Amino acid sequence: MYPLEIESVTKRYGHEVVVDDLSFTVAPGRVTGFLGPNGAGKSTTMKILLDLASADAGHATIAGTRYRGLKDPARTVGVVLEPNAFHPGRSGRNHLRILADVTGIPPGRIDDLLEMVELSHAADRHVGGYSLGMRQRLGLAAALLGDPSVLVLDEPGNGLDPQGIRWLRDLLRARAAAGGTVFVSSHLLAEVEHLADEVVVINRGRLVATGALAELQQAGTSVRTPEPGRLTQLLRDAGATVHIGTEGELVVRGVGITDIGDRACAAGIALHELIPQAGSLEELFLDWTSNDNTHLSSTDTAVVVETERQAVPL
Amino acid sequence: MTWLRLVRGEIRKLTTTKLPLGFFAVLVLIAGIDAAVVMFGTDMDGSKTFISTAADQQSLMAFAFNAMLGTGLFGAIAVAREYGHNTVVPTYLTSPRRTRAGLAQLTAVLLGGGILGLVGQALIIAGVALALPSTDYGFLVSIGGVTQILAASTLAGAVGAVLGAGLGAVIRNLGGAVTAVVLALFMIPPLVVQLVSDASSWIPPALGAVISGVSSDVSVWAALMALVAWGVVPAAAGLLAVNRRDVV
Repeated sequence: MYPLEIESVTKRYGHEVVVDDLSFTVAPGRVTGFLGPNGAGKSTTMKILLDLASADAGHATIAGTRYRGLKDPARTVGVVLEPNAFHPGRSGRNHLRILADVTGIPPGRIDDLLEMVELSHAADRHVGGYSLGMRQRLGLAAALLGDPSVLVLDEPGNGLDPQGIRWLRDLLRARAAAGGTVFVSSHLLAEVEHLADEVVVINRGRLVATGALAELQQAGTSVRTPEPGRLTQLLRDAGATVHIGTEGELVVRGVGITDIGDRACAAGIALHELIPQAGSLEELFLDWTSNDNTHLSSTDTAVVVETERQAVPL
Repeated sequence: MTWLRLVRGEIRKLTTTKLPLGFFAVLVLIAGIDAAVVMFGTDMDGSKTFISTAADQQSLMAFAFNAMLGTGLFGAIAVAREYGHNTVVPTYLTSPRRTRAGLAQLTAVLLGGGILGLVGQALIIAGVALALPSTDYGFLVSIGGVTQILAASTLAGAVGAVLGAGLGAVIRNLGGAVTAVVLALFMIPPLVVQLVSDASSWIPPALGAVISGVSSDVSVWAALMALVAWGVVPAAAGLLAVNRRDVV
């Protein structure tokens, strides 16, 4: 079992803080989605975990050990980081041969993997002629070469066709079911929704949400009231994020359903509806990572979305 | 994981692209030019006295400095392109102890540079030997002389490759690394000699001439030590850089 632990990691490039006191754990046996807007610090966090970049503070470990301290990293952790980390003049087969040489993995496994990622037909062609999807498949073959227990994948679905995405999803779920640790960053929220058991969401280098995806998706409440402006302000003051739902209702996250009822009652605000709401990952993601300070509703009510406040108590 | 595995992987990196083939083609071209010079070149007075003695022929064929310059470019390209293509990422993922990985890369580049230097020198000797019958002179260089220039070019090629690899690791940008090699070996030494005349014996062309047996400015052993230092210093800087910097 190889849990991944990010503990109080901070990384600066010049004066810019890219990762800011970030802490979370990725558990084995689960698929964990790593989400955040562009530039949120996802890739940097992964690079720190893999000892490709150094943290200015904090540390990242795999089963309690830094990556460079692992006895056999290629057989422990499979990585897809850069979609173009190949020499364009080298064949896909030779790319894998080099990795097999270095790691002492039997060359016979190369053919098996090429077949698994459906690249056998192009194995002896230069990678420069590969499509993005083919490069992604080659990267996945390289990641799986050592049959590792941990997979750290940065946008592995980029460029894959629907069959490829389905194959990848099945592969990752099978790996997790077998006790492996699967940590996947992706912009494809619908795909993460299908794939992930847990999510870690960061924005501007800071953790904004983490936990079981199913629980997080249940963490919203749909509220109808004749005084949306007052209630919005009231709940915002209590630490909630509030936005207008598709049917004009208020969608509240960050404050429990009982608390909403109690606060509305205490303030003398009538409620016409108060029901739990399961949000889509996209809605949640936008809530968690919104950089806008104010969204104007279709009525004259200003609905404020807090940006720096955590959508779900951590 | 053993260090030899790393070296084998690095050698496969070098041999699975067209880079060595490109350099081999350049060596064939240079050998052809040398042969053409022997066949058609003359001194100012129209004679061919530049190939009239064994020493002249050995001097004409001595390839050590050119080998060093050429393999400097080879080493710089081999390492800097790793950063350009991001192939350094899988390298350090499979071998996160960067000093060990860096030493393996330097070893592979050193071997490649040595082979290129040796092959280049052999081609030039062959070209000159084939061209000489078209003149009034035979091949006059002794076996010992041939062996010395072969050894000198092999060593200079190895050192040049290590120098280039070190600069490639420090600079990481392909164009910048190639420029740095040309500056370090070709442009800056003459300028330094202008400022410090005593340095003239310690610049790569002079050292190459000494170890090739066509000059005796300094002792062969001193020249060998100095030449090795020309490779070791940038290589050490490169290893330091890869250990201290983020990979990407």
